[in-house]
Amino acid sequence: MSASFKIVKQLILSGGNRSSRLFSFAGLGIGVLLLFCCVQMYFNLKQLTRKNAIRKNGFDYIALRKSVTNETMGKTALNMFAPGEIADLQKQPFVKAVAPLIANNFRLQLSAGSLFDFQTDFFIEAIDNDFIDTLPDSFHWHEGDATVPMIISSDFIELYNTAFAPGYGLPQLSDATISTVVFTIICYDRNQMPVEFKGNIVAQSDRLNSFLVPKTFLDWANEKFGGALATNVSRLYIKTKDANNPEFLKFIDSKHYRINKDKTLFGRAKQIMQGVITGLGIFGLMVVVLALMLFSFYLQLMIAKSKDNLQLLLTLGYSPGWLSKKMSGQFIPAYILIVLIALALTQLFQFLFHKYVMYDRPELSSMLHISVFILAVLLTVLTIIANYRMVKKLLYRFGTNE
Amino acid sequence: MQLRIQNLLPTYFEESKKSQSDIWGKDLVFSKGEFIKIVAPSGSGKTSLIHFLYGMRKTYQGNISYENQLLQSFNQEQLAKLRATQLSIVFQDLRLFPDQTVEENLLIKHHLQPFHHEIKIKEMTERLGISSKLQARSGQCSYGEQQRIAIIRALLQPFDFLLLDEPFSHLDNDNAVKAMELIIEESALRNACILFADLERFNPYPQTRLLHL
Repeated sequence: MSASFKIVKQLILSGGNRSSRLFSFAGLGIGVLLLFCCVQMYFNLKQLTRKNAIRKNGFDYIALRKSVTNETMGKTALNMFAPGEIADLQKQPFVKAVAPLIANNFRLQLSAGSLFDFQTDFFIEAIDNDFIDTLPDSFHWHEGDATVPMIISSDFIELYNTAFAPGYGLPQLSDATISTVVFTIICYDRNQMPVEFKGNIVAQSDRLNSFLVPKTFLDWANEKFGGALATNVSRLYIKTKDANNPEFLKFIDSKHYRINKDKTLFGRAKQIMQGVITGLGIFGLMVVVLALMLFSFYLQLMIAKSKDNLQLLLTLGYSPGWLSKKMSGQFIPAYILIVLIALALTQLFQFLFHKYVMYDRPELSSMLHISVFILAVLLTVLTIIANYRMVKKLLYRFGTNE
Repeated sequence: MQLRIQNLLPTYFEESKKSQSDIWGKDLVFSKGEFIKIVAPSGSGKTSLIHFLYGMRKTYQGNISYENQLLQSFNQEQLAKLRATQLSIVFQDLRLFPDQTVEENLLIKHHLQPFHHEIKIKEMTERLGISSKLQARSGQCSYGEQQRIAIIRALLQPFDFLLLDEPFSHLDNDNAVKAMELIIEESALRNACILFADLERFNPYPQTRLLHL
């Protein structure tokens, strides 16, 4: 059909009220703007929280332990991780790897005799090398080696230097000095017979809050002095893509496991922020739906007011399909304009947000996320299709009731 | 193209009507180039028959088919195409857009499927004496003027069949003759068939068949 719509337009588009059309367009604009802003904020939050924890190769490493309560106090087995629990953790999609921290199962003493007279009962632990953030080449041990390399938590050195040493009149240790200190590790077998090893600190760890030796040494020592490989695991380390992942935090909470809250503080905040943004997004979506309904009512009212004219046009031979296309097509420029204005405003807000609120966050972009543009296209297409279908349905109904 | 009616009868008519009519209950074929006159008194179903043939009402039994396709089976798009290109009508109740000007009323039909150049519209209105009314709202025109507008409107499209439902009821004899001449000319130009339903015979109409409803 090649008919001109110009002459027909005045018969069918004069029925609507101009102010109700403007109101529905304004409502649609506000809803779309709110929706775009929420989607953009969601991606901003994602980008901002991506680099918040200590990472190695793009992963977060989190220590996990069980809560010691009044009920479990003294019942060591209850505070240990059973093999089933470890396997369950490994199955979770957000967990890339799990490694237990194994401790000594025999009596052990540590002495720093080469520097100052100091001897105490102590503990050592071991973990898979992949979980160690500062792993020097020298961190290995083979049966027969007299020296055991050790990695200690940088927190221990700090506590020693700032609290312990000044209080007891002991020398404070620099990083260079500490690596030269030769410790004596005294292992006692089940008959309390001592076997000595030399120990030297080869690295400090920011991640692992422990006193680490190579796993080969501890496995060997546990078997030799304790009589068996250690199976009790009270602390695990988890390798995850994002320690602030709300799903991960939800799982940890459900199992009543304890983790370093500082590392996941942002995740908790993120959980709340995501909740708020999702809520706002749903609200925006509701406003969009409401505005579309308002606009659909406006269209229906306009069609109802032009019913006689439309019926006569159909009687004269105008195609209902062609009329529907032309009628709903009249509003396409308005939809596109609304979406473009909303996009431009969202872009402006994003630019101002990055420039004035998050100016020191290079990981954030001043440009809108691609998903916002995709959403804009989808929303426009869906609106056009929904209105076309509604107009077509009404016109076909008129056609059958000539 | 052929129009065929078979055993047609409005559902609200009694079967006995079939025996008294040349059309109800009969099997008839109308071909292009024929000038059919249907004569019937008021209330005998002239408007019903015209509406059935135009596909506006389906309250009948029997069949109507255009080129062997049953009219009942036409969907709305097919019906719109039929009306725009092969079937035209002058309604008894005229059916104009009262708030549009005479010119707009004519252009609405002209733009649907142009058969003539726009200049021809002006000529037709001059022939039927309504050219001075082109810019007037059709609702403000007299019945006689409105009837002439409806007649010209029906002639602005291509058609194989032209349905006329008491098209001169508001015209004096002179104007009716002028309108009839224009209709005959335009139908001849298209080699179309006219189905002219009226209360009585109209002498200037060169009917090829007379049927009593």
